[in-house]
Amino acid sequence: MSDPTTQNTICLEEATIISQQSFPGDQYILRVHAPRSAARAIPGSFAHLACGPAIPMRRPLSIMRAHQRKGWLEFLYKPVGAGLEHLKKQTTGETLSLLGPIGNGFTPDPRRPNILAIGGGVGIPPMIFLAESLQNDNRFEVLVMMGSEVPFPFELSKAGISVSRVPPTASYGVTLLEEWGTPSRVASKAGYEGCFQGFVTELARIWLSKLSAQELQKVQLLGCGPTDMLKATTVLAKNFDLPCQLALEEYMACGVGGCAGCTVLLHTPQGPTMKRVCVDGPVFDAYQIY
Amino acid sequence: MSSRLALKFCGLQLSSPIVLLSGCVGFGEEYTRVEGFSNQDVGAIVLKGTTSQPRLGNPPHRLWETPSGMLNAIGLQNPGIDKVVTEILPSLNFSETCFIANVCGSTVDEYAEVTRRFDDSPIDAMEINISCPNVKEGGVAFGNYPDMSARVVEACRDVTDKPLITKLSPNQTDIAANARACIEAGSDALAVINTIMGMAIDVETQRPIIGNVQGGLSGPAIRPIALLKVHQVYEVAGPQGIPILGQGGIETAADAIEFLLAGATTIGLGTALFYDPLAAKKINSGIEEYLGRHGFSSVADLTGQLNLSDMQNTPASG
Repeated sequence: MSDPTTQNTICLEEATIISQQSFPGDQYILRVHAPRSAARAIPGSFAHLACGPAIPMRRPLSIMRAHQRKGWLEFLYKPVGAGLEHLKKQTTGETLSLLGPIGNGFTPDPRRPNILAIGGGVGIPPMIFLAESLQNDNRFEVLVMMGSEVPFPFELSKAGISVSRVPPTASYGVTLLEEWGTPSRVASKAGYEGCFQGFVTELARIWLSKLSAQELQKVQLLGCGPTDMLKATTVLAKNFDLPCQLALEEYMACGVGGCAGCTVLLHTPQGPTMKRVCVDGPVFDAYQIY
Repeated sequence: MSSRLALKFCGLQLSSPIVLLSGCVGFGEEYTRVEGFSNQDVGAIVLKGTTSQPRLGNPPHRLWETPSGMLNAIGLQNPGIDKVVTEILPSLNFSETCFIANVCGSTVDEYAEVTRRFDDSPIDAMEINISCPNVKEGGVAFGNYPDMSARVVEACRDVTDKPLITKLSPNQTDIAANARACIEAGSDALAVINTIMGMAIDVETQRPIIGNVQGGLSGPAIRPIALLKVHQVYEVAGPQGIPILGQGGIETAADAIEFLLAGATTIGLGTALFYDPLAAKKINSGIEEYLGRHGFSSVADLTGQLNLSDMQNTPASG
């Protein structure tokens, strides 16, 4: 339907690769110059990238960081499938067709100032973006919890910003987030130093269970990660009676709402409905998904 | 846009031979999200397939990329004819391009009912989708059999005077025979072709990748097949003055010109939009350049100009 508020919101630009770094666990952080998309990106939004001429279908990647002034976007991905396998071979100076930014981002509720942002694996990027964008927003205090079963592709260091009632084994945080003044804690079953030994949602449960009823009324959950993590996050939300928004992934073709290929079944008060992850999401109310 | 690209197609005056295809562009305005895209760059837009009642469509996954193409099994997700006619059509800007409805159904009566509702609406024309491979009832269950196809077309013809375009299935033995049946039943134009049935399997889980098990294959992989089908249908439709909307893997102006030479009057873009949302502008320019270089005054003059002289074997129908 014709909606002036959505027209011309997505840019098609030739993005030049600034850097592509590989990390243990077959992880890559890609930074591209895409100034028009960078100017509009919001936490939770994504870009639809053409990975190379041999792989014409685009691949959606969550935006991890966007620098408006310098005009770059940053992504974290694991090369799952032919498209991203091709993408990882692209080097500095090469260009990629980029469609973005796409999608509705997280909309934290100002009535609940304490955000617990839970990210798992390649679902971590939106939480980094959220932390960076809210670092100077006095309405919110963000605590980021991240889980990964491969080494985190970020520098970790002993957490300087204290968070009460977090298990002492979760002693490390992400250095970059610390620099932004955002506390973070990491979890893994792989036994990495400073990490909580278990799933990130277990770490979150322990922390939430130690909050008073009054404190819980100030908390909201935001999540992005593998399906099992999203389900576990929703269980936490229901158990502790917290609002919860989740960013979803699905195979995508057009990325602009035209093909209905990326839909998710939502349970709304009006009954079941199929919504497009690309432009109706990718962020949805967890209570409508699970 | 150049007047050389303007043409008539089953009674519609189009500004370009490019038609954006059903199932790829939602209900007509989705691509206006993209900077630089304009519905004015295309001659017509075919809206998402519409049934009498709302449909949720198929479960995920609905898509999978394949070599030079993709599988899809959306399953005709749509809000139903009431909402399309009362809420969506009034929001479309009919001054920018022509809008064509895509009529679907599980029964002949449902096709007729949806057609009747669109007849009483501002829609410019209707495409009868008797070839959707992704629903359990209707779709190719009608489109693969000439007599069944004709029954659907007749039922729709009875309730509208608006142009009717019948979308033919490639998943049948003799597409020319089906084309003939649909023309006799009252179709004003033919869309050739819908997607080709296919599937993909995840060998690790040993399960189908597509939630519907099977899907429709589109994209450049099917282009040679589609081109031949257009050529075969043109042998039947051309002499009767029934125009063809040629479609199947068209990405470039050169691809489009191939279809026009084979007998198409208009050409459809679908999967190509997923690669390049601004493809229509480039194809318009490319066709125009070709017309100038070859001395054609109008794109309509290209239709059926395939030169078969001195050819020993013309392709057999079927």
